[in-house]
Amino acid sequence: MADARLVPFRAPAASFCAFLAIQAVSAAVLFALKLGGTPARVQEFYLGSEATFAAPKTIEGLLETAVPHLVAVPLVLFIAAHLVGFAGLLRRRVFGLLCGASFAAALAGVLASFAVRFVWPALSVVKLGAFLALEATLLAWIALLGLTFATPRRSTARASGATPAVTATPAHRSAR
Amino acid sequence: MRFFVSPDPWTDRARPPVRWFLVFAAVLVGALAAQRALAGGLTPAGVAAFYLGPDGSEPLAAVALWEEVHVNAFLYGFLLFVVGSLLAVSPVSPRVRAALLWGGSIAALADLFAPFAVVAAGGAGAIRVATFTGTILFLACGVGVAFARFGAPGRARG
Repeated sequence: MADARLVPFRAPAASFCAFLAIQAVSAAVLFALKLGGTPARVQEFYLGSEATFAAPKTIEGLLETAVPHLVAVPLVLFIAAHLVGFAGLLRRRVFGLLCGASFAAALAGVLASFAVRFVWPALSVVKLGAFLALEATLLAWIALLGLTFATPRRSTARASGATPAVTATPAHRSAR
Repeated sequence: MRFFVSPDPWTDRARPPVRWFLVFAAVLVGALAAQRALAGGLTPAGVAAFYLGPDGSEPLAAVALWEEVHVNAFLYGFLLFVVGSLLAVSPVSPRVRAALLWGGSIAALADLFAPFAVVAAGGAGAIRVATFTGTILFLACGVGVAFARFGAPGRARG
């Protein structure tokens, strides 16, 4: 394990990973069932279709989906990134890139729904791309969380108690 | 995370916000139970009627079932992670800690997918009643134990 202080959190992290994986899978299933897998199907979902008697999405309907996602997705990404970042598993630059890609994909996905409906239907490509990017980054976070909590401890001496390792944290140094 | 892994003086400072968070978590668990009870989700017949229609011939679409999985996976996953992390740094017996976290996780996972079983079996609403009751009980106990023990004197990690 990259940081022995994380040992007590192995079980909660494993549980979190399981539910995160279910969220990612259920999101993919819902996307496939509702929006389909092509830009044309995504456009049809937002703009409506006479052939399927589907009405165009309203701003209220889009906000009903966007608001909970604007709370839940950043919170989940924040937890995953926080744990991986704390363990120091990735280089700073790679970690920053993965964080940026995750949050940007999530934001682009939410905004693209409105853009497809009200700005330019061809942006359905962005909606599709953002969703795929978010799913890919979620899988990356799950894998990294697994690595963070499943790999052998780097230092068994640090695992016996939290206090010695805590002295290395800037927050604790500044508090002394 | 730094809040949790820091030494005891920091735990004292962490206790008030943690306890207030747990008050809200307890209210959330109670509200979930009330919401489910009012929708008929605490009786097998009520569950069957919800997922299969009043006469059993209009089952909910797959989209509706997956939406429920998607929403509840966030709720259960977040709550179990926070409560499990708090229990990990509280003076609680390892057995109790493991039972609450894994019992809650297994019950919640079963509850997420129980509606599929109800629809596939064309009834068997008792499955969902059992999984939901188990999930709520484990969550309520986890929140209660974390409230009582986080920051309490004793060996914090075990």
